[in-house]
Amino acid sequence: MKADVQTAVIVPVPPASHGNETYLALVWRRLRHSWTGMAGLILVCLLMLMTVFAEFFSPVDPKLTGVAFAPPQTISITDQEGSLVWPRTYQVGEGTELDPVTFQPMVGPDYANPLDLGFFVKGFKYRLFGLIPTDRHFFGATNGTPVNFLGTDKFGRDVLSRIFYGSRVSLMIALTVVFIITVVGTTVGMVSGYFGGRFDAWMQRFVELVLAFPQLPLYLALTSLIPVTAPTNVFLAFVIFVMSALGWAQMSREVRGKTLALARIDYVRAAMAIGATDRRIIFQHIFPNVMSHVIVAVTLAIPNVVLLESFLGFLGFAVKPPLMSWGLMLQDTSTYSVIGSYPWILSPVAFVLITVFAFNALGDGLRDAVDPY
Amino acid sequence: MALVDISTLAPEQRHDHAAAVGSPIIDARHVAVKFKVESGMVDAVKDVSFQLYRGETIAVVGESGSGKSVTARTVMGLLTKRATVSDRSSIAYDGKNVLKFSDRQRRALRGNRISMIFQEPMSSLNPVYTIGAQIIEAIRVHQKMSRSQAMERTLELLRQVQIPDPEARINQYPHQLSGGQRQRIMIAMALANSPDVLIADEPTTALDVTVQAQILNLIRDLQKTLGMAVILITHDLTVVRQFSDYVYVMQNGEVKEHNTTTTLFQNPQHPYTRHLLNSEPKGMANPMPVDSASILEGRNVRVSFMLKAGGFFKPQLKELVAVDSLSIKLHRHETLGLVGESGSGKTTFGQALVKLLRADGGEILFDGQSIENKTRDEMRPLRSRMQVVFQDPFSSLNPRMSVGQIIEEGLIVNKLGATRNERLERVREALNSAGLPNNILSRFPHEFSGGQRQRIAIARAVALEPEFILLDEPTSALDLSVQAQIIELLRKLQDEKGLSYLFISHDLKVVRALCHRVVVMQHGKIVEEGPVEDVLTHPKTAYTERLVRAAFEVAA
Repeated sequence: MKADVQTAVIVPVPPASHGNETYLALVWRRLRHSWTGMAGLILVCLLMLMTVFAEFFSPVDPKLTGVAFAPPQTISITDQEGSLVWPRTYQVGEGTELDPVTFQPMVGPDYANPLDLGFFVKGFKYRLFGLIPTDRHFFGATNGTPVNFLGTDKFGRDVLSRIFYGSRVSLMIALTVVFIITVVGTTVGMVSGYFGGRFDAWMQRFVELVLAFPQLPLYLALTSLIPVTAPTNVFLAFVIFVMSALGWAQMSREVRGKTLALARIDYVRAAMAIGATDRRIIFQHIFPNVMSHVIVAVTLAIPNVVLLESFLGFLGFAVKPPLMSWGLMLQDTSTYSVIGSYPWILSPVAFVLITVFAFNALGDGLRDAVDPY
Repeated sequence: MALVDISTLAPEQRHDHAAAVGSPIIDARHVAVKFKVESGMVDAVKDVSFQLYRGETIAVVGESGSGKSVTARTVMGLLTKRATVSDRSSIAYDGKNVLKFSDRQRRALRGNRISMIFQEPMSSLNPVYTIGAQIIEAIRVHQKMSRSQAMERTLELLRQVQIPDPEARINQYPHQLSGGQRQRIMIAMALANSPDVLIADEPTTALDVTVQAQILNLIRDLQKTLGMAVILITHDLTVVRQFSDYVYVMQNGEVKEHNTTTTLFQNPQHPYTRHLLNSEPKGMANPMPVDSASILEGRNVRVSFMLKAGGFFKPQLKELVAVDSLSIKLHRHETLGLVGESGSGKTTFGQALVKLLRADGGEILFDGQSIENKTRDEMRPLRSRMQVVFQDPFSSLNPRMSVGQIIEEGLIVNKLGATRNERLERVREALNSAGLPNNILSRFPHEFSGGQRQRIAIARAVALEPEFILLDEPTSALDLSVQAQIIELLRKLQDEKGLSYLFISHDLKVVRALCHRVVVMQHGKIVEEGPVEDVLTHPKTAYTERLVRAAFEVAA
């Protein structure tokens, strides 16, 4: 092979068949192949829909009070004689007889007045997106009578509708907290990992302090700190602030570790060799490469906050009524006798479980899709 | 030369089967392996047949991606779950088709009758067990033996693989041994049950050149004394020529040609075989102008690292001198080779000279300017004049940036080219001079092969029109034939643009093909320097001689 021959040679490169794929397209292609990842993604989308259209999905006005601790109304497709009918339910009402043990009026289905069920029925009035007035609901009794599919709580409010409404506050808290800890954690982690030195050493000791802090007593102490008379949104902001203040440290650790590895990789050195500034290296080379890990960390952090919110709610540190959240609903379940007699008020737990599973599955799927190289 | 029908070069049967004694110990026919990937199925191995007789060594040669390792793993039964072996395939061990064996039967065969050693000895050994424990386990899985008997056998094996002081070594952990010793331990483990067949998959690629010869000699000696058959998988033709009896040349999952080693090397028939044999780096650097000025000069450059020593209560710092007061002078249009084994400090020295690392002492002059005390900001105006190409093209290109962005970045940073179009024009020129088409600006690094990526990295350096490029083992991670192309490219660029190179390498073959002068380093010191031909033909020190012998005649 002579040099002059070589001059003319241009090496063939593979055709750009699925060539010009961006990184995102690659990740999506791999995510599609992960069964759990896709299941998580679909569930997350459903949860988001549920949250955005909470009014539409709620069969009953969540503030409407009725019979306290009414059991869930079952859907039957047969009538009393056993013949097949249009799906119906029977309203739960207080009868005239008394319970021989508690001497409370007996609560039971009213077989005399069956309620036919249907989709897109008329119900209580609301404004879609806070703008469009409508009274259509996804599912309910055709004549607009309130139906409590998951029973009612101690004030006789519909549990299912409160779960739908409560998902807003719960997920809003989760997303806000995760947003804050991501911004703070990523910034601190990248700066600490990239510049290293004394700043890094002290920053990491501080992170360790935050991580080592006994969180539960702190949460409980803080609950007593806020005046009872504080307005609800102040309380909400406080909950978010406390959760973020203790959550960013973990994120900053992960980002710092990744940044440390990236800062020593050849393309960062190559960027230094062409004279790039630190700012350019951080934003062009480190940030985009850290981002994929951050996205995964975010999807895995959301369920943690949802869990934390419901757990703290159970302990009494949750948003205040009239706001609704899953944590707040679980506050009612803290008495053993209540759970024993009215187990349906535990149903927010199922939604917490689904949310945690959905985000975790999505996070795991994303991690595998993001990191094969 | 008479035309040969290339389809007849690789029949199922070996060319020398008439002369063979007995039946082959391994007789593989029509082995085909597919892998499930995201976009469907990939044929890793299409149709491979080979025979291995007792007491001989066959070599499987090919470039990365040719399917040689997959073939070996199929024989071992070590394929991943994503792989499927076609129904037509058969691999007979001693007349019995192992592909029809149950998992249990295969396990009994693996590590017992057929053993394998891998490329990277550090990751093949478990770091939390002593080497003794690991060898003993390998023995007792397959043989009923008491612990003390197994211990005896382990010591015997360690002696066989020539580990000094085996009684002490047996209780050491893998990290306490050198790379060569670890590979010896791997061999000892593979030999633990006196296998009939040893598969060595690139056994020396991860090792230093001088260690390579020792390991290969050891394998050959053991093969003779134990009467094993060896399958040697490699990309290194020098190794093949010296250590194998019969050669299979693979490309794209198929055997292209096979023959006895002597015949194949004397009379290669298939174009691919010829291409492989031709891709040994050759030629020499074109002569440089006589009285060229100095571009980069290091005087008594010293780099040291502080290691933590002592415990928590008595913290101490221990100084490790990586580069010990070295002086070097590089002229314009010259290529200076910097040679040494891993750990000799050559990369550290190179990076200190371009100020990617801080030197502790000495002077560095770039084009007459002293740069050793310049800060990163002060260095910036000089950056476009000195560039770096790194060893591994897979980590030196940011996977999130397109080829265009990667090359353009240097232009933006150094404010070269007034408009974006002007910059893109320069990017295209740079791609062309690196031998790449200029329509790949919007594509991403992962779409390219190692050689192409290294060209992109070279284009990134060249786009800035530097006067000097630090080449840090730019060819070590590449296949042989690609390596030859890159050397051609570097030589061409030097002649066209009058570049000066500082070429860091451990491979003297490449150094001979590219450099005018060479500096040999060992333990942070320069042991020898001079014009390339002088140093390679008349090495003055034993160390250089060892390096030269390792490069040009492995079996030294």
